Amino acid sequence: MNALEVKELKKVYPEFTLDKVSFCVQQRHISGLIGRNGAGKSTTIKGILRLINAEGRVSAFGKDFLKEEMAVKQMIGYVGGSFRYYPMNTLVAIRKAYAPFYPTWNQSKYEKFLSQFELIESKKVKELSEGMKVKFALALALSHGAKLLIMDEPTSGLDPLSREEFCDIILQLVREEGVSVLFSTHITSDLMRIADDIVYISQGKILAACPLKELLDQYKLAHFSSLADATAANAIGVKSVKEGYEGLLPHDTQRLNGVTFADATIDNIIVHLEKANEEKRYAESD
Amino acid sequence: MLNLIKKEIALCLHPTAFIFLAFAALVFVPNYPYEVIFFFSCLSVFFCCMMTRENGDIAFSCALPVKKEHIPLAKILVTIGLQCIILLLVGIIGAVKGAILPAEQYVNQAGISANLVLVGNGAILLGIFNLIFFPCYFKTPDKIGAPFVIGAVVIFLLISVFIALRWVTPLYSTTLNGLNSENTGAKLVALVIGIAVYAILSTVSCNLSMENFQRIDV
Repeated sequence: MNALEVKELKKVYPEFTLDKVSFCVQQRHISGLIGRNGAGKSTTIKGILRLINAEGRVSAFGKDFLKEEMAVKQMIGYVGGSFRYYPMNTLVAIRKAYAPFYPTWNQSKYEKFLSQFELIESKKVKELSEGMKVKFALALALSHGAKLLIMDEPTSGLDPLSREEFCDIILQLVREEGVSVLFSTHITSDLMRIADDIVYISQGKILAACPLKELLDQYKLAHFSSLADATAANAIGVKSVKEGYEGLLPHDTQRLNGVTFADATIDNIIVHLEKANEEKRYAESD
Repeated sequence: MLNLIKKEIALCLHPTAFIFLAFAALVFVPNYPYEVIFFFSCLSVFFCCMMTRENGDIAFSCALPVKKEHIPLAKILVTIGLQCIILLLVGIIGAVKGAILPAEQYVNQAGISANLVLVGNGAILLGIFNLIFFPCYFKTPDKIGAPFVIGAVVIFLLISVFIALRWVTPLYSTTLNGLNSENTGAKLVALVIGIAVYAILSTVSCNLSMENFQRIDV
């Protein structure tokens, strides 16, 4: 049974369409939802949580979200970026209002997280750093026994050290608590470090939903000395770089004269696939 | 629902929601349009909704394990609780005024006296405000100004109507005016009508607000 199954999630805005997005998050896996700004990452997460009225089916641990909304929400811990709510209230006031919604709330577990994250409950939310806000959101989400964490860009706004710490916490939660995680980000170095699977979304459509290694193994980065070489090799998403041109080639491409190869990173894959998509759209509009 | 109401009280109530309750004591001010007291109650609703927006409360609440339609219901029920308190306070303080001040000082030259009819008028005003404000607000919870301005304009127009009735119609200027001990039956009828109108309008407001809120994207 998957921790999360999203089937044909669709939301139409005047300027943007989330187009039948489907993917799964396996139990005890960390899935990274990636894509450029405006690709539909936050819309997908809001659609999953029914914060927006979207078509499609969402289920968590086999339970249908619409039919068993309360039970599903009890199993989900949602962290919407950093904790942007109630800046003038103290953490203790927020916890007192939040905990009664969850019959499974575990106060001693919450206190353990507070001490691990060095959070002081008498502080106001506005007095917390961005990193501490994320930790507070995590402490709330995890203390009611959430089995699935859904996070919308939790690491944006964090410095490298805080991001490293965040990744360590997530890894620890998956290993020790057995939680499953879906988190959106455009900081791909975090994904390289902790993600098992990747869901890559572009222009509201899923371009890839597979294990991270599988995605990385699909392509290699090719460096060409001229545009003609790149075109001849059918490189994907060719773009000019400081010295020559770069594009993606399938991983099984044989050696080519005058072409140097390197392992493709997630950044390389996103940049060149987006470039290829852009060219395709431009060609179609002509 | 009870948890949502508790959360509303703990995290979303602006201090003015309590401060403006004390304005019920304005019934002691001589020759004052006492219906204005109920406008302050409406103003506190506006401040609470501002606080809701600044706190990101709607998004926070929607992620909680609650039914979406219960979010507007909880907010309106808390408001109704506060409105009932101000109605009760105006009634009690008005009665105290009638008991301790001489009858000639009880007469209000700017509107109706601080009696049971004032409470009934207040209930009508608050019910109409609820009917206008909440369904509009829960269509777009980020836009609080327009629903409040529309609600406030209607409230002040109605206050003017109540003041005019006090001077134009014998029913309001004599029968329903003055101490509660005079024409008590008529005053009680006016009070019951006011409360009934309030209950009906607030119920309609709740239903419309829940319907509108279901349709919005947070």
